[in-house]
Amino acid sequence: MRTFSVKRSGRLALGLAATLVMLSPLASAELVIIVHPGGPDSITKQQVRDIYLNRSSQMPDGQRAVAFELPSGNSMRDAFNERITERPDAWLTSFWSRQVLTGKGQPPTEMSSASGMKSVVSSTLGSIGYLDSTLVDDSVKVALTPEP
Amino acid sequence: MKYSLCLFRKSTPAIFSVTLLSSLLSLPAHGQDNQQRLNQMEERLNALQKQVTESNLEKTRFNGFFSTGYTRATNDAGYDEATEDSDLQTLSLFGLQGTFSLGRNTDAVLQLVSRGNENWDTELEWGYLRHQFHTGTEVRAGKMRLPLFMESETLEIGYGQVWARPPEAVYDPVPVRSYLGADLAHTFNFDSSSLETRAFAGHLDDDADSLGQTIGVELRNLTGLTANWTNYLWTFRGVYARADASIGSVGGPVNLGQNEKAEFMGLGLSYDDGAWLLMSELTRVEVNGLFQNTDSAYITFGRRIKEVTPYITASWIESKDNFKRDGTPLAVLDTRRQAYSLGMRWDLVASVAMKFDWTHARGFGNTTGGLIGNQLGGSFNSTDVYTVRLDAAF
Repeated sequence: MRTFSVKRSGRLALGLAATLVMLSPLASAELVIIVHPGGPDSITKQQVRDIYLNRSSQMPDGQRAVAFELPSGNSMRDAFNERITERPDAWLTSFWSRQVLTGKGQPPTEMSSASGMKSVVSSTLGSIGYLDSTLVDDSVKVALTPEP
Repeated sequence: MKYSLCLFRKSTPAIFSVTLLSSLLSLPAHGQDNQQRLNQMEERLNALQKQVTESNLEKTRFNGFFSTGYTRATNDAGYDEATEDSDLQTLSLFGLQGTFSLGRNTDAVLQLVSRGNENWDTELEWGYLRHQFHTGTEVRAGKMRLPLFMESETLEIGYGQVWARPPEAVYDPVPVRSYLGADLAHTFNFDSSSLETRAFAGHLDDDADSLGQTIGVELRNLTGLTANWTNYLWTFRGVYARADASIGSVGGPVNLGQNEKAEFMGLGLSYDDGAWLLMSELTRVEVNGLFQNTDSAYITFGRRIKEVTPYITASWIESKDNFKRDGTPLAVLDTRRQAYSLGMRWDLVASVAMKFDWTHARGFGNTTGGLIGNQLGGSFNSTDVYTVRLDAAF
């Protein structure tokens, strides 16, 4: 009896949460990982992380990865660093200057705006980037929606 | 490549007008044709995009680094070249690095460095050709950094390090930086870790300062091996190198040995999770003849709190062959020293960091502590060095 009521209230809470998520304007501005329309259908968080931290240079479909990022201060970049790289901006700048100056690799190319990000990802083979889900259209493919 | 781009550009308007014309003239009847043409156009566009992407990957790149800093010590012991006189030259340097792609996997790397304490004379620090095979193997030839330490490759790039300076106990006993030769590296990639092994061989001929004199250092038949394993959180490193060393000159002011067997051994460990930072290296230098055999170590702890990274370092060095110099004037080379640093790195804006450091050195025992002030007749038991440093990378 007790378990039943717990289950019921759990469901109720879930339903409530779902309604809230649907209603909240913030929830719709979700971070999504986008790739070239001809790119892989899905990618794991670990694969994205490996590409953005210079541990891998390949997309899951074998294509040479070309990564793009948004400028610092952008809320999607903050969300990306929080959920994917799990590294603060200062760490990343220092990390990439070491990689560049020791010839180990080049940082993701920074695009100045979300629209620039979308158009470059849609037009570059092997591309990977991230965007606010509300701005996504058919020109790019969403390969991952990382959970907060 | 350029040619084909031009060709495409020139022909684009023609293609467009033809497509437009045909679609205007025969829309319903040739719908399928148009679709085909559209597909062809799309294919051509994709090919063009691919070329553009590739040309982006192959361009020439310039990067650089810059440091300047203020140093002052409480006395003239000379730890890290710091004295009671304020100094701006020692930490000041400017580096420019160019990477020129010669092909998809071959490049030439050039690093020029001008240092404040060398009258800003520009020196070719690196100049090598590199080829990377698809198998994870890399071969290089030319002038390269001697890979003795964990931070060898970023030795002069202050922005890439947390410290105001690499710990002197470990980074100072080998008075040279770059050699002329070749190396072969292979990286083994595992599930979530990688192992890089590197074999190198070459020759080194450079100047160094010893006992207030500029002396020649020559390493002949230099060979070595490094292994570096990392799971991107923990890193373990091992290095062994050997050479026939000539330090100073016969009949010159300082002669510490000619064609003596020299060996270097080192172990390194680091941890970096983005917030906590740990680094430690243990090194041994063994040279036949009068040049000091030393054991050294340091350990650094740091913690990143947003833009600020406070750190502490403890380091130690001791010469193990004092008996060889007993009773001779060269006994001033005997070394024993501990140093403790408390410092902070502050990331001001992207690519610019400021550092504050206080280092206290002591525990010289019966030795000069390896400090030039004591070697030249002073009697300092300890010293404190204060540093403020500004680093940038671009």
